[in-house]
Amino acid sequence: MSELALFIVRTGFLAVLWIFIFSIISVIRADLFGQKVVSKVASANAPQVVSAPVAPNLPGSLVMEPNGSNATKLTIIEGDRTGHNIALDRRELTIGRADDSDLVVDDEFASTHHAKLVLINNDWLIQDLNSTNGTFLDGSRVGTPAVVKLNTPVRVGKTVFELRA
Amino acid sequence: MTNLLTGALPKIVRVIPRNRNIEAMLLLFAVGLNAFELAQIQLSLLEKLTPEFFFYWLPPAILALVIHMILRSRASEADPMILPIALVLNGLGLSMIYRLDLGSIANGGTELFGTRQIIWTVIAMAVAAAVIIYVPSHLFLRRYVYVSMFIGIALLLAPSLPFIGRSINGARLWIGIGPLTFQPGELAKIALTVFFAGYLVTRRESLALTGRKVLGLRIPRARELGPILVIWAASLLVLVLQRDLGTSLLYFGLFIVLVFVATGRSIYVIVGMTMFITGALVASRVMDYVSGRFESWLNPFDSKNYDAVGGSYQLAQGIFGLAHGNLLGTGLGGGIPHLVPLAESDFIIASLGEELGLIGMFAILALYLLFVSRGLRIGFSHPDDFSKLLAAGLSFVIALQCFIVIGGVTRVVPLTGLTTPLLAAGGSSLLANWIIVGVLLRISDSVGGGKNES
Repeated sequence: MSELALFIVRTGFLAVLWIFIFSIISVIRADLFGQKVVSKVASANAPQVVSAPVAPNLPGSLVMEPNGSNATKLTIIEGDRTGHNIALDRRELTIGRADDSDLVVDDEFASTHHAKLVLINNDWLIQDLNSTNGTFLDGSRVGTPAVVKLNTPVRVGKTVFELRA
Repeated sequence: MTNLLTGALPKIVRVIPRNRNIEAMLLLFAVGLNAFELAQIQLSLLEKLTPEFFFYWLPPAILALVIHMILRSRASEADPMILPIALVLNGLGLSMIYRLDLGSIANGGTELFGTRQIIWTVIAMAVAAAVIIYVPSHLFLRRYVYVSMFIGIALLLAPSLPFIGRSINGARLWIGIGPLTFQPGELAKIALTVFFAGYLVTRRESLALTGRKVLGLRIPRARELGPILVIWAASLLVLVLQRDLGTSLLYFGLFIVLVFVATGRSIYVIVGMTMFITGALVASRVMDYVSGRFESWLNPFDSKNYDAVGGSYQLAQGIFGLAHGNLLGTGLGGGIPHLVPLAESDFIIASLGEELGLIGMFAILALYLLFVSRGLRIGFSHPDDFSKLLAAGLSFVIALQCFIVIGGVTRVVPLTGLTTPLLAAGGSSLLANWIIVGVLLRISDSVGGGKNES
């Protein structure tokens, strides 16, 4: 091979090697920062905003029973999505970075499956799912599942929410 | 009911294995890279493509695709980057070993490594596939914590036994039956990681929380330091019995890092490093072998060391090779890396550095960095403590091994005899590192373990 072809081949190989590395890095980047948050909020959570109770009167449905705490919605009071509401029209609500969480919190301090709210005996309980940075109920870290009272701040990563009547 | 309506939909979407599609793309890229290397080598050394191209190219490519298909059905959420990175590193090593074979044939040499390396690559990748198929969950390893301790220690000490133990180049790290030799220490690193992880999960609390505070640092109680002393003594014993600084540093470093990961207390790292450096310095005074290594490391170009038997000749040649490579390298097949003794195993990084240059060397380091960062990431995001420690330990062992070997070749630390993970010639090392790949893939699949329950 000519000198020039040799040069092209050998720099070409290095270039391709680095392209491989950068394509891996771009995948990692997408994993770290996620896809665009806006679309997720709009599509996954917006339809569930209050005042859209879904089929509350289905026979055998345990949904929307009167509960002790009377909480009907979850309101985000701090974080990227301050002001958003999510209707408490089910028995369980998952919180985390995963796309399929009911409440998607998109920051690096939250775990993929961070915590969940469970309706037990008419009380909403917050359970931490072994998250890395913990879930805080009224400022103290949640160890065993704890009852969330109305208007008590719960912190997950940078997001803080309350249950409201 | 509403649960069904609102909750089920996103899960159907998740069934599409996004990770696997990314992996497929990266694998094709990796396979292409390996073809590029081999073609470049054949064209510049033989000036034609021969059927040997397929002999070196196809087996790893096919096995990687097989592993990929297995992952699709058995572990579809596994990390998509680990397998392609491992394939590229393995392919780079294989190509370089083949290239060194061609170089040594041209110079009338007869000792060839390529065929053996490709056979071991196939075996190792098949074992990795078996790990993914037959180990449904890595958590079963937790039941064998103490068994793996005994296996680890037995593997470590096996080379010191009479009859089957072999010394090669001064280090007693091999066992051999007839012409077959095996380096059991490579497998010991997996067994010991399992043991350390299992042990530390149970002892985490007492290691993390006890002790008095002095100057802002919490000093652990003496009995918490007990196990560290035992491991320290064991690693020094390895140093004395097997005459290998690298192996002893590897196991001790692994233990210290896992203690740190488990407790989050830097005091253990400080104490551990101080102990190891003290031990190594004492050993360098007492043992000829270690002091010789230190001397070669500090003054490799001194003619006294350069000419000595077992002196710095190899190290200096490696550095000449790296210098010859310059920034862009001589191109694969364009350099003379076979002048360095053990260019295919201990010094493969110098061979690659010569032919790919500083830019290529950094690319290789970046690949290791990405591999290790994926492993640590898996550990970080895994909900289970044992898995956290296991993933962190297995990936750190690769990082530390790279540091010790590449650092040794480039004169950052004294040169010791460890293999460069996935690159260097050597069956035991390939086997161990592909098992690590398999286990990491297995662990990464279970990271989102709670997903299906809720």
